[in-house]
Order: sequence, then C-alpha cells, then structure tokens
Amino acid sequence: MKEIIVIIGGGIAGLEAASNLLKLGYSPIIIEKSDHLGGHVANWHKLFPDLTPAKDLVDELIASSKDANIFLNTEVSFINRLKDSYNIMLSNGISIITKYILMTTGFRLFEASKKEEYGYGIYNQVITNSDLEHWFNTGQDKRIDESPMNAIGFVHCVGSRDEKARNSQCSKVCCITAIKQAIELKEKFPDAQIYCFYMDLRLFGKKFEDFYTKAQRDHGIHFIRGRVSEVGENIEGKVIVKAEDTLAGKPIKVTLDLLVLMSGMVCNPDSSKTASMMALPIDSDGFLKSSDNVFHITASPKKGIFYAGACTGPKTVPETLAEARSAVLDIHSHITSQEK
Amino acid sequence: MREIYLSGFNTFVLPFMFGMLFVLGWCLIGAVRIIFQLTPDDRKKFFLSFLNPKIMLKNIRDWFCDCLFHVKLWKRNKLLGYMHSSIAFGWFMLIVIGHIEVFLYTPQRVHQIWYPIFFRYFVAVTDSTMKGSFFFFLMDFFLLVVLSGIVLAIIKRARSRIFGMRRTTRASLTDLIGLYSLWAIFPLRLLAEGFTADISGGSFLTKSLNLVLHSFLSDQMNMLPTWWAYSIALCIFMCILPFSRYMHIPAEILLIPMRNAGIPVRHARKGISRLQVYSCPSCGVCIDACPMGVVKANSKDATVYLNRQIKRSNERRIEEISDKCLLCGKCTAVCPVGVEGDRIRIAQRSIRPYNLTPDYSNIDENSAILAVNNFVSTENNVVSNTNNERVLYFAGCMTALTPGIRKSMESVLRKAGVSYEMMDKDGGICCGRPMLMAGRKAPAKEMIRKNTNIIKASGATTLLLSCPICLKVFKEEYELEGIEIIHHSEYMDRLIAEGRLHVESSDVRYAYHDPCELGRGCGIYEQPRRVVAAAGQLVEGAKSGKESICCGGSLGSLSLGFEQRKLMTENAINNLTADNPDAIVTACPLCKTTFGRYADRPVVDIVEVIDSKTGN
Amino acid sequence: MNGFGFRLSPSSAINLDKVDRSRFEELCSIEPDALRCMSCGSCSATCPAAQFSGMSIRKVLLNLQRGKEEEAFRLMSNCMLCGKCTMVCPRGINTRRIVLTISRIYEKEEKR
Repeated sequence: MKEIIVIIGGGIAGLEAASNLLKLGYSPIIIEKSDHLGGHVANWHKLFPDLTPAKDLVDELIASSKDANIFLNTEVSFINRLKDSYNIMLSNGISIITKYILMTTGFRLFEASKKEEYGYGIYNQVITNSDLEHWFNTGQDKRIDESPMNAIGFVHCVGSRDEKARNSQCSKVCCITAIKQAIELKEKFPDAQIYCFYMDLRLFGKKFEDFYTKAQRDHGIHFIRGRVSEVGENIEGKVIVKAEDTLAGKPIKVTLDLLVLMSGMVCNPDSSKTASMMALPIDSDGFLKSSDNVFHITASPKKGIFYAGACTGPKTVPETLAEARSAVLDIHSHITSQEK
Repeated sequence: MREIYLSGFNTFVLPFMFGMLFVLGWCLIGAVRIIFQLTPDDRKKFFLSFLNPKIMLKNIRDWFCDCLFHVKLWKRNKLLGYMHSSIAFGWFMLIVIGHIEVFLYTPQRVHQIWYPIFFRYFVAVTDSTMKGSFFFFLMDFFLLVVLSGIVLAIIKRARSRIFGMRRTTRASLTDLIGLYSLWAIFPLRLLAEGFTADISGGSFLTKSLNLVLHSFLSDQMNMLPTWWAYSIALCIFMCILPFSRYMHIPAEILLIPMRNAGIPVRHARKGISRLQVYSCPSCGVCIDACPMGVVKANSKDATVYLNRQIKRSNERRIEEISDKCLLCGKCTAVCPVGVEGDRIRIAQRSIRPYNLTPDYSNIDENSAILAVNNFVSTENNVVSNTNNERVLYFAGCMTALTPGIRKSMESVLRKAGVSYEMMDKDGGICCGRPMLMAGRKAPAKEMIRKNTNIIKASGATTLLLSCPICLKVFKEEYELEGIEIIHHSEYMDRLIAEGRLHVESSDVRYAYHDPCELGRGCGIYEQPRRVVAAAGQLVEGAKSGKESICCGGSLGSLSLGFEQRKLMTENAINNLTADNPDAIVTACPLCKTTFGRYADRPVVDIVEVIDSKTGN
Repeated sequence: MNGFGFRLSPSSAINLDKVDRSRFEELCSIEPDALRCMSCGSCSATCPAAQFSGMSIRKVLLNLQRGKEEEAFRLMSNCMLCGKCTMVCPRGINTRRIVLTISRIYEKEEKR
C-alpha cells in the first residue's frame, strides 16, 4: 500500500514536496486554505536574480504535482494523535489517517498599516511590495499614476528587524526584492529618481551582489543608509519622507510620487494555530521551531512531522524548494527504515 | 455618681500620660515645621483659607468624611469602609463621650487629662444613682463598634480579598508593633472596665463581662493589672505612632485644610509633600490600582512604598521607585487621603543633580512665528464663523508618528468650515511636559516660553491639541490669556453640538479608553464619550473613567524599557475588550500607537472615527 | 608644518587606544540597551531638536564610545526629552533614560 503523506499548505514548498513524493511512489495529499496553489509566489511577477517569471515556476510545479490529492479552500479543523499516526479532520468533513505530516504553511506579509508613521492606508501614494507586484502583473492599481513620475522611494525593513513591530528577525529577501523592483520601476519610469532607504544591505545569495551593482551603475538607483521614521504629505498630495542619511550624518528629506514599503515576512498565524493542535514548539520569532537549526531544519521534535519552507523562518525561493526536497528525502528514509 | 479616690490619680496612668505628651509634642513640632517649610505665599494662602467660610466648611466636612467615616473606602468596598470607620469613628466617640461624662459628673477633674480615659476606675455608682446609664450604654456601644472593627482587621490580615483587595501592604516592624498595640487597646479596655463594672457601673457589655469574670475570679485585686495593661498598650501605641503608619491619623488632620487651601507640591521632601508622605495610612489601595502591578515585582514600587522609603530616607529606592512610575495618576485618584503619588514622584526627580543642562538658545522661534500667520480659510464651507474664531492646531510630537490623526483632524476642520492654521507643520518645539515629567523645570520653562511667543504671535483665539500630554501642560503651565486651550475631543463635541459637524451613527461598538493625561490629568471624561456615542455604540471597559488603566506607553516612566511595558499594555487591552467591542477608541496618539502594537482589533483615534462617519 | 598643505588635527582622528571607556561602561551598567544601537538613524530623522543642533542620540552614543565626549554634549544640548526617538527606535532602546543618565554621570571638560 502506498504511504499517505499529508502536506499542509499548497505553496511552492508543498507543491515541490508533492511532486517529489509522487516520484518516489508515495501518495501525497495537499491541503490548501485558499482557492489557488502556489501561495505568495503565485501573486509575484518576476523572481530575482534572473527575473524568471513567477508564473512559469508555479505552473511547472502545479503540473508536476497534479497527481497528488489536492483539497483547495480547505483548512485543518483538528488533529488527533493516535498510537503511531495522526487523524486529521478537515473543514470539508473529510478525515485522513496518516503517519506523516509535512508542514509547508509558509509566512504572512507584515501588515504595513501597523506602522502608521509610514502612512500606508492613509496616504494615497504609499503601497507595499506585494501591491507593486500585483500592479506589475495586472497593471491595475488606483494609487499608481501612469503619468511620468519624478521620484520613487523604497523603504526596506518594514516590520522586519523591528521589535516595536514584534518582529526582530531579518526577512532576508526584501533587500534583493527592493533592488529588483527598483530596477523594474526604473525601466517603466526612466526619468524618475529612485531612492532605496536601507538599514543594512544584506545581499548574501548567488548573483545578488551583481544585481546590486547593476542597480547602482546601470540604473542609477540611489541607496541611502537610513531608516525612514516619518512620512508626511505636502499640499499637492505628494508624500514627504524623513530619514537620516547616516553616512552623511545629516537628516534628509525628499518629496516622492510613490513610496513602496518592503513588508517583511512574519509568522503565519494559521501555521501557529495548526502547530498548536499537535503541540509543536514555536520559536521566539513566532515561526515553527525545528529540532535544531543546523542539522535538522526540516525535522520537528514530534515523530512523523516535518517542516519545509518559510514556516520555520524567512526563506528565498531556491532555499524553499531545496528544503522541500530535503524534507521529502527525510520522510522517505524514515519510511524505509520503518519497513526494515 | 461619686468618686472613690480622693486624688483622682493612680500610678497606672503614668504610661498613658507619657505616651500622650510624647505624641502631642511630636505632632505639634511636626506641624509647625511643615507650616514653616511652605513658601511664604503658600503659608499666607494657608492661613487665609481659614477665614474663608466656604473652605472652612469643606474642611469640617472632609475631617468628618475622610478622617472619621472613610467615605472613599466605603465607596470602594463596604466591608473595608466599615472596618476603618468603625475603628476611627468608634474611638473618636469613646473619647468625646468620655469627656462629656467628666464634664457632667466630675467637672472638678477636667484639667486631669487622663481622667476621661480611665473614668470608670475612678468613679463608683450605686444602683439607686444610675445617673450615667445612658452614657454607659453609649460607651459600651461604641466600644463594641470598635471591637467589631478590630475583629474585621484581624480577618483582613489573613483574607484581604474579602475586603476587595488583591494585594495588601507588607507591614514594617513599627507598623506591626503599632498594629498589635492598637488591637490590644480595646480588648484590654473592655477587660479593665469589665472588672470594675460592679463598682463603677456599666452597661450591656461591661456588666455582663463583670458577671462572667466574677463567676471564677472573685478577687478585686485583679482589676489593677488590667488597668495597667490598658494604659501600657495606649503608651506603646502612642510612642510608636510617629514612626509607624498610624502617623496618618494626626497628619491627615493638617493635610485636609492644606489641600483645601490649594497648596501644591513644590519640594521633594518639605512642606506638603512631607505631610502627604506622613498622611499615607499604608492601606495599600494604590497597590492594586497601579498598572505596573501586572508584573508582580513592580508591586513594591507602589506609592505606599515610596512614602515608606521617603520616611526612611532610602535614597536608592526613592530614585528607583520615582523613576519607574508611569505617572498615570491612578494612585492619586484612588487614594483615600489624597496623597498625590505622581506629583510627589516628579518632585523627587526634580532634586536630582545633573552635570549637563540643555541650552535652547539656538532654537529660533521666529521662523515658526512667521509660519503661523497664514490661517487656512475654508470658503467652500463657511457655516457659522460668526465669532471670528481662528484655530491654531498644534498636533504635537507624538502625532507626527500617527499621521492618521493629523490628517483626519484637518479633514474634520475643513468639513466644519473652521479657519485654522497648523502650528507644527514641519515639526515644532516640544510642549515641555515630557521634560517636566522628568523633573527638570528650568529647561521646560524655556520651551514653554518659546511656544508661548509663537502662539501669541499667531493671533489665534483657540489652541487646538490632539495630544493630551500637551493639553495638560498648556492648561497648567502656559499663560495664554484670551486663548482657549482645547483638546480635539472637546472641540468636536462642541462642533457636533453646534450643528457644524453632521455625524452619521452606526452599529459599530467602540470601547473608549480614557488617556491618563486627558481623564485624570485634565478631568475630561464626558465630552469624548458623547462624541463616540454620536458615531456608534459606546462600550465601557471593565475599569474606566477615573480608574481607567494606563496603556503602558506613558512618557512618565523614565526607567521602564520597551519589553517591560508589554504586559501592562496587554492588561490594559484585556480591560478594554472585556465587553468584546469592535474597535478600541482613544484620544491620544501615544495610547493609539501603544495599543496598536498588541491589540487584536482596530485601534483608532476619536477624530478618525468622526472623520470616517462625517459626510459633507 | 606650513609647507605641506595639510596637517593632522588631533580631533579629526580617533585613537581607540586612548579612549577612556569607564563612563560609557557606567552608562551601560544603568541602561545596557545603550549597546544595542544599530545606527539605523530613525531617531535622528524624527528628532525635533535635530534641526537646531544636529541632535541624534545615535551620534551621541557613537561619539561617547569613540571618546568624543564634548561633541556628544554639544549634540545633546538641544534635546527636549520629547520621547519621539524612544517611540521610533526599532530596537526599543530607552533613549530618554540614556539622555538623562548621560547628563548625570558625564561632566564637561572644564568642570573636571
């Protein structure tokens, strides 16, 4: 009999895990809360650093995992621990008994309106990174004027590295995402001055640094080391950003046509809710806690429960995919060792 | 009634006399010192207040209501109120009636001050001459009242929750000696009077006790030791009184007229602040009231302990306690004797030496003065601008971080057709309140001077504020004759009442949070509630109004760190959401930011509510 | 020295070997968060005193750690203690306490 493996979350981690499990001959079941697969990546336009269309990646993942059992618009109602397996009750009334659960519950974007000083939801010209990707995809956003813009700003670390926003961790991908989006906007509005307000630029991944250089040299994007502390509005309805240029050691003020807030990754409350049904530990940053953070990132302290992707902390797309495969291999070796 | 001793004296009165003279002398010297520590102006004001019949009447009322009947404690908890007032009023009546007896029956003994106290030892009554039976009954009755209070006090030591108190004060050694001697006085008095009741006469209590005692103790000589014990208990109590919390009994008598005369706390340790410290009865009502108390370790930083440490001159702890406080003023609001915990703490901060002092000479208010002479007239919607009202809107430092409040305020002003001008469009000079809270009066005065110049130069008739922290200092410390100082919640209340703002009501259930500086600080409770009720359904938190709980974000605390405030904020939110409202409404930018961090539902300012519910 | 067209000013360079850290350590014993600043600049950007004296609690802390105390005191001289920096600090540093503590434990050169 084929072993059933329940995957909670149909984002890229869940899909990649399902497709690999299928290849190994298992029977994965994906439980997805929303009405579509691919999670956050499905709403994205292009992926750094090669500007791969996100749609291509998601389509490929969906195609390779189409043989899995997929429940959309479905949530986990409760989970019972049986002797050596779990009984999962779904919101659509179906119950599943399985020995293996893979948590790919992902993250949630920080609610930018929580940082009121940045004016999201108050000023018309303030949008988030995900609003911008949505506009790239659909071309529809009332806040973005198609007429030429003079100046555009990006605020890094919105809700990340911020104890006041209750997220002290670095969201890892915003630096490179801001650079990517800045380049994309510069291509659409070549005459606009673009300013990135950062605290530290953390460009650790492959080709990230090249991307940064490209943004500086080829696109003339200005990088200002200083966290924005206040956003105001002038009489014409343009936003005024106040920061300190910490390298010049002087307060700095600039008038902008558009301000993009780089909302960070925070723990997904649904993830914590599901975790609490299985008494899984939550880390101090609110994300799920792995057995250890070096050798067993994909293992939970509970037997038969595994993690992959951003449910344990902010991750890039390649990291998430790699973790999904790694978790599949963990599950596979666990099953084969049981059979012996 | 006849006397049975010629001299009217027995050696057992000596301990009492010693204690009595000691405590009277101590209090007299103390009172004179405190009065002389007042500034000459305050002292004059204090003495003149006795000539004002209105204040004098209030004094008399307060003496009775506060010292004897403990009305404020009754309001808090009936049992607690009864306990305190039975002892205080009962004892007072025993003394008064004792003196009446002496006046009526043995007027030749009036000058012997121990005589009323030990009256029944010295007199005898025969059955045929029961002249004093009415007074005997009263004396026994009030003794019973006091004894019932003592019984409750003993129960309270073990089970304070019955009296509505979660936490009570940890007694110091002198407090304990005072407490036990106080508890001993009245049973010993009962015993002594019981022994002599067959000679001196007595009433239902003493007479019946006499019968019981004589059923197994027939020797008359037993009575002398009990009178000695009674006198010694009184002596111990009176000698320990100045060093224990019972000092509040005489101190409060002086505090009441000083408070009614309006003498403010000016010095950390002298004058009225010292008097307030001694007036603290260590009842511990402030411990439960303190918003910092959610962290158990903080309950030793309540006002009652500050008072104790000031008495002991423990400088390290005084500094720690006074720096930690949020200055929310709740301890002052609930204190039954009127100790101003927040002002006393600011006074402690004010005597701290600083090597570096700010210098604002290069802060130039002239550029700001030029900028404020440009009132925005909203011609499109001029409704009833009959009185040439020119509103100067000072949003305040904190509002710069909550642009939603500022934007909604401007929108509401435009909708109501108000002619207004922003005072701090590009950042202004701080109002001075945060500096005052840190106890640094001189630099605060400098800021106040500069802002006063700007406001006066603007030609405004009204100064509109969004931040209650600013509001309090503008009302209390600024001299802006002819300019009305008003908070936006009051102003909107007026605009709605005058029909200049048309608010559409809704079903949204709003829980209103009283910001400390607006409610307890400026006494504004009703206006914001009327405004909220115009826009939706007003819901109250479990505790509200005078007893609302500080959001935890207060600038008052100098030492509390960000993490340490979290539990206080969560506790305040739980208090507000007790009735499960849809949103929390506040009227302070600081409360809004603080609640916004941890609340599970929207937190909005009152002006944002009105802006969203106003059409025009 | 005139002929070279440049000269070394003693105040323009920082010699960490000669920095007296004792008072900064005293400050940190009272408010350990003084060490947690990551120099993001939020405080300076929001500071209402910044436009008058260039006040920046970030720079004050940096100058104290680099032994440039007089410069720190100059920056601080316009602090109004309004608390905006405390509000915006992403590390939750109690900047008002730091200002008050510096004012107490440090002394100006001429006084020492």
